[in-house]
This record gives sequence, structure tokens and C-alpha cells, in this order.
Amino acid sequence: MEYTLQRWPRGGQAPEETGPQAGGAPDSPESLHKQGILTARLNDLVQWGRKHSIWPFNFGLSCCYVEMATAFTSPHDVARFGAEVIRATPRQADVIVISGTPFLKMAPVIQRLYEQMLAPKWVISMGSCANSGGMYDIYSVVQGVDKFLPVDVYISGCPPRPEAFLEALMLLQQQVGAEQRPLSWTVGPQGIQRGPKLSRRDSKRAHRLAATTLRPPDEV
Amino acid sequence: MTAAVAAAPSASLIEALRARCAGQELVEERTADGMPTLWVPAGALRGLMRWLKAEASPRFEMLYDLYAVDERQRSRRAPGLPAADFSVVYQLLSVRGNADLRLKVALRGEYPHCPSLCEVWANASWYEREAWDLFGVVFDDHPHLVRIMMPRTWEGHPLRKDHPARATEFERFQLDEARAQREQEALRIDPEEWGMSPQGEDHDYMILNLGPNHPSVHGVFRVMLQLDGEEIVEAVPDIGYHHRGAEKMGERQSWHSYIPYTDRVDYLGGVMNNLPYVMALERLAGIEVPPRAQTIRVMLCEFFRITSHLLFYGTFVQDVGAMSPIFYMFVDRQKAYDVIEAICGFRMHPAWFRIGGVAHDLPRGWQQLVRDFVDWMPRRLDDYEKMALKNRMLQKRAIGVGAYDTATALEWGVTGPGLRATGCDFDLRKARPYSGYQHFDFEVPTATGGDVYDRCVVRVEEMRQSLRIIRQCLEHMPEGDYKARHPLTTPPIKDHTMRDIDTLIHHFLSVSWGPVMPAGESSAMVEATKGLNSYTLSSDGGTMSYRTRIRTPSFPHLQMIPAISRGLMVPDLIAIIASIDFVMADVDR
Ligand code: SF4
Repeated sequence: MEYTLQRWPRGGQAPEETGPQAGGAPDSPESLHKQGILTARLNDLVQWGRKHSIWPFNFGLSCCYVEMATAFTSPHDVARFGAEVIRATPRQADVIVISGTPFLKMAPVIQRLYEQMLAPKWVISMGSCANSGGMYDIYSVVQGVDKFLPVDVYISGCPPRPEAFLEALMLLQQQVGAEQRPLSWTVGPQGIQRGPKLSRRDSKRAHRLAATTLRPPDEV
Repeated sequence: MTAAVAAAPSASLIEALRARCAGQELVEERTADGMPTLWVPAGALRGLMRWLKAEASPRFEMLYDLYAVDERQRSRRAPGLPAADFSVVYQLLSVRGNADLRLKVALRGEYPHCPSLCEVWANASWYEREAWDLFGVVFDDHPHLVRIMMPRTWEGHPLRKDHPARATEFERFQLDEARAQREQEALRIDPEEWGMSPQGEDHDYMILNLGPNHPSVHGVFRVMLQLDGEEIVEAVPDIGYHHRGAEKMGERQSWHSYIPYTDRVDYLGGVMNNLPYVMALERLAGIEVPPRAQTIRVMLCEFFRITSHLLFYGTFVQDVGAMSPIFYMFVDRQKAYDVIEAICGFRMHPAWFRIGGVAHDLPRGWQQLVRDFVDWMPRRLDDYEKMALKNRMLQKRAIGVGAYDTATALEWGVTGPGLRATGCDFDLRKARPYSGYQHFDFEVPTATGGDVYDRCVVRVEEMRQSLRIIRQCLEHMPEGDYKARHPLTTPPIKDHTMRDIDTLIHHFLSVSWGPVMPAGESSAMVEATKGLNSYTLSSDGGTMSYRTRIRTPSFPHLQMIPAISRGLMVPDLIAIIASIDFVMADVDR
């Protein structure tokens, strides 16, 4: 494809020709960069866009949902992560957060909602109930949503704090950023290549160990 | 102890009851909560109930609770009670007479029959369906006795003693295509089954499924609708998507380790849920709670009333179209949680009350935190009033919508703000002060319209009253113990342990097995965030409960939806649902 790149000068003077026809500077990324133009592989751009616009599905099961909703409101402000576009239909959502207990009677409904989401799609399992049944080893509760859905990120806690939810969102962003997906079924290698499994427990270990003073319970 | 129980109905009431079932025996049972409890013959039940509702003095306007008990594995049943495999318990409430009455019916056999009370009380229907679903008690003449909590595909009755409790006792859960298909099929709406019809005389109706996942049904809740255009011809609520066996759980957790499960019943109410549970146990064990512990409890309960009401306020206003207020209100909730967390160490589910008191004394410096909050909040409430309550659009959506009167409310078992919005000032904190509420100066807000708007107004005013109560706690916090010095408190008091081997052993057992509660039955009721909440506990003298019954306010409230939404538009239904203020855990438990 033949093209010419031009820079419009501030003063309003007629643009100089910089394209290949003019025989000027080579069209290297560096020189383009200087002209305020970014070059990238389309794949990387798409990936970057995906990573920063993970739209959650408006879906909640029980108590954990309250903390998830708290993360959506102003004190925690999920918009910082490009995830404030909460969708009421699974068709438009990228991530479903299983925030609460996976009830037996609800399981087929959850499964269907997940199936209605369009790929690429991810699952965050929020809270002990969704992770493993939590404190409800009881006849009406499925012992973990991963019994019937593929989970990408688990958040521990009963309920996890809103900050933990944000942490999980960032973790998911990292994962999504490291994922290689084909641009279409006719372009490039097919199949999904995932990055390494990430663990906040491991990556934050040093930070945790550095804490030496904890707030005593009899002080505020 | 200061917790007052309803005035016992006069002996004349019991005499009158005796006279009405002449020839048949009527057995009185003593319970630790002092509530008059009578075993009545099944045959006389309907007649007695009709009489109690319409003619007795005082009249019992409300069927407060109805539940079954599997009596087959009782080891310490009081002598003289009628033999029973199952029993059905009816708890009645007289709002005007401020009295309670508990009637029990003894049933024999594997699938026992019991007369249905649907003809007498509108709200009996769901309770009876629940008892059928969980216990397999058949209610004769019930109009539609089908499962309510468990999926239609379920086999067995999970609250029976011979039914496994744990999911891990069953085969590992798998949702393959065949099963998914079967379950989906069971969820399909059959309009005729629910008295709805897709065809009218000259035009068709639309059958619409709302939920169980819908942004404005506040959780996993489904309403099946028969619509004529946008007008609701019939609405049928469908629940059970949030059933997590909280009652069965009580039969395998120690008395102490069950406390965290109570937090998760009304999951917006936090420690407010602990209160009726520990109060019922304290009655059973005869524990006197020190004044400081009582006041700390009141203070935290009122904090949770505010956080819960704020969430209601925000979501309600959002559901009728105003997006911003909820963002402001979550800032306030955050501030309240900062105080709660400083005191209890946790936000939503502190499980912080203990049998006999609370887990810990107040931390140093709590006063300033609480003061900052009670100084901050009133101005915010003023702002919201301008932002939301005075908003003409909100008023148009809410005034006159979903209205009912006091009689209807009582008929359906409605309590809490939903009842007070109809002009009835029944608030348990005033009517039967518990945990020291008699020492506080506060008012019971009421309204007269009984509509969506008034239910909101009452709750807003309740927040102001809660702030008043919290301020009084701040100014008059008594000194003293934060937990009773009674051997059955949990965790047991440590100071005695190192004195001699006897107390050490006692301490060790009480920590590892949990306290052994005396045999008997006890209940306690509180004015929770959403209405009257009570726990009824039966002990066989062990470390676990024999039967734990949780009466939650939201269960009857949802049952009422059809009665107040027929003839309205779908958006009105959304406003009604929001104005009820329920959480599904409080419905399905
Ligand atoms: S993990 Fe805890 S907070 Fe979350 S849904 Fe389960 S019980 Fe509720």
C-alpha cells in the first residue's frame, strides 16, 4: 500500500512532504514517533484495548456482590481500570464475576448466562463460596463454581474487600494483556496462548513479610 | 433479664381455647422464652385459628411464623407431650395486644397430613410450601403444594433428620448437558400452573419472565408476569434460588460456631442478625448480659441499620431513575464501615456478638470515630432529601404506587418499615424493649399512605433516629464487663482456668466442643433492619441445636407482591420491589 505521512506544523505552514516519495527521512518507528505517530502490531493494539476495557456483567449472587458493588462506586472507583461500563446483558460483557454462593438451583442459570457471553470472556470467582463452597458445605450449594465454569481469577475472603476485587481486576488485566489470540479465523496462528499463571500470594510475599507492626485490636 | 417477653395472654384465653376444643386434649408446654405454647389436635386447628384471628381477646391478627420440626430423633422431649413424628408450629402475633402465642400440632407417619391454613391467612401458603419442601408434611387443601426452596428435580426433604446435610456427602456435582437440560426444563414457566393464561377472550397476553438474574430484582429472585401490554394482570414470585440451608446448618455447628452463619442471613444487617440468636441462647441458659455489653450491641445494631437503610435508599432511588445519590450514599457507608471495622475488625459480617456479650471491649479512641460519624451524617441526609425525596420525578413514580393498609399488611405478615408506613407504630424496640432499648430516647417514625414513597420516608426518618440512639450510646456508655461472667458464655472466661484442674477441664471442653445448652426451647425476636426477625432454638441438651428456626421478615414481604402489583405497570413493579427492601438471603436463608 502506498501512503504518505505528513506532519501538520503548528504555524499553519504548508506541510513538508516526508513520505517515501519525497525521499526524505526513512519511515522508521523512531522518526514516526517524533512526529507523534505510534506504530504497533495490530495484535498488540487489540490486546492493549482489551486489557483496559474489561466490561463486567451486572450479575450478583449474594453477600459478596455488595462488596463488588462497593468497588464500583466512587470511594473505590472502578473507572480507573476501564471496567466501569457495567452491562446488564451478558452479550455485551467481557467478564462475569461470580460474587456469591453458587446455589444448586442457580447453577444452570449461571451456566446459561456464561454461555450467552461472547468470546473473549473471563470469569472471576469472588469469595470463598464461589471458590469452594466456603462455609456452606450444605446440600443446596455447589462446592465451587469451577465445577461447571472455567475460572480465571480467584479472590479469597468472605466477603473479599472491595480492594481485593480491584486487585483481582488488575490481575485479570495482566493475564489478558499476556494472552495471544488470533485476530480472526483467517489471520495468524489459531488458538489461545495464555501467559503464565499469576499469584498475588507469591508476588506480594516480600511485601507481606516486611510488615512488622500490626494494629492492635484495642486501638482504633 | 431486661429483655421483655410479650405479656402472657391471660389464663382466660387458654381457658377459652380449651372450651373450644371440648373433648380433645390441649397440652401446655413450658418453654424458656415464656411464650405460651399449646399442643392442639390437628382436627381443631382451623376452627381455633379462625377464632383466634377474628374473635379472641386479644385478637391475633398475624400468622407470624409457621414451620415444621422432625421429632423422630428427639432424646429429651418433655414428658406429657403428645407423641409425634413431626410437628408443625404456628406462631401468632397480636399487634394490638402486643402478645404472642405458639400452637403446635403433633403429626404421625412418614408423610403426615395437616390441615392447611391458606383459607385463614393469606401468608400461610408459602410457609406451608416450605414445610412440604423441606420436611415432607402434606397440607390438605393447600391450593398449590409444590416445592418452593429446592429445585423441582430434587428428591427428598432436606431438613429431615435422615437426609444428608453436606454437599460432600452427595456425588460430586456435574452439570453436563443432560442435567443442564433437565434443570432448565424444570425452570420453564407453565403459565396455567400458576393461574396465568396466555390467551384472553379477544386478545393474547404476554408471559414475561423477570429474573432470576435481573438488575432490578436485587438478587436472585424471579417474578413471572402475565402482561396485557405493559399492565400487570398477574405476578407470581418464584424464590429458592438463594437457599443455602442455614437452618440445617444449625444442627451441625456448635452453639458458638453458628454465630457467623447468622450474619449471612440478612447480609446487610451484620451483627443485627447475631442479636436474636444470642438472645435466644441467653434466655435458654439464663445468662444476664451486663449493661455495657447491651449498650455496645445496641450501638452496633443501629450502625448496621443505617448502612442497610442507606443501601436501600440508594438502590431504590436508582431503580426509579436517579443515578447519582447512590454514589454519595456509598461514601457514607464507607464511613460507617470504617467505624464498624475499627470496633469489630470486619466490615460486612463481623460475627462479633458472643453468647453473653460481645467479642471484645471497645477499642481506645472509639468515641471520636463514632462522634465524627454522627456529626457527619445528618447534613448528608438533608442533602439526600433535596436530591431524592423532594425530586418531582421520584415522587411521581412513588406516591400512590403499591399502597396497602394496615389490615392488609397484618394479613400478609408484613412487619418493620413496611408496616409502619401504613400508620401502625409497632416497633419492637418500643413495644417490648430488649437489650436496654427502654433507656433510649427515640421516636418510631410512621407514615399514613402505605405506598412506595412512604416506605422510603419511614426508613429515612429511622436513620435519623438511629443516629440519635448512637449519640446516646456515645454519651452514656456504661462501664463494666463486655461479657457476662457465666460459665456458658463463649469463649469461656479465661481467668479461672489456671486455678484448678476442674475449671481447666471445663474451659477446655467448652472451647473444643462448645458449651452444652440445657434442654428446652427458646426464641428471641428483634426489630431488624427489614422487619421482625427471630430465632427459635430447640435444644436436646447437647452442644448443637436440635432445630434452628429462622423467621425472617423478607419472606412474607415478597409473598405479598402479587396482591399489590396487579393492575399496575411493569415500572411500578420495579419501584415496589425496590421499596420492599429485601435481600434474598433473608428470604431463602
Ligand atoms: S463468600 Fe461469604 S460473603 Fe461471599 S457469598 Fe459466601 S458467605 Fe457471603
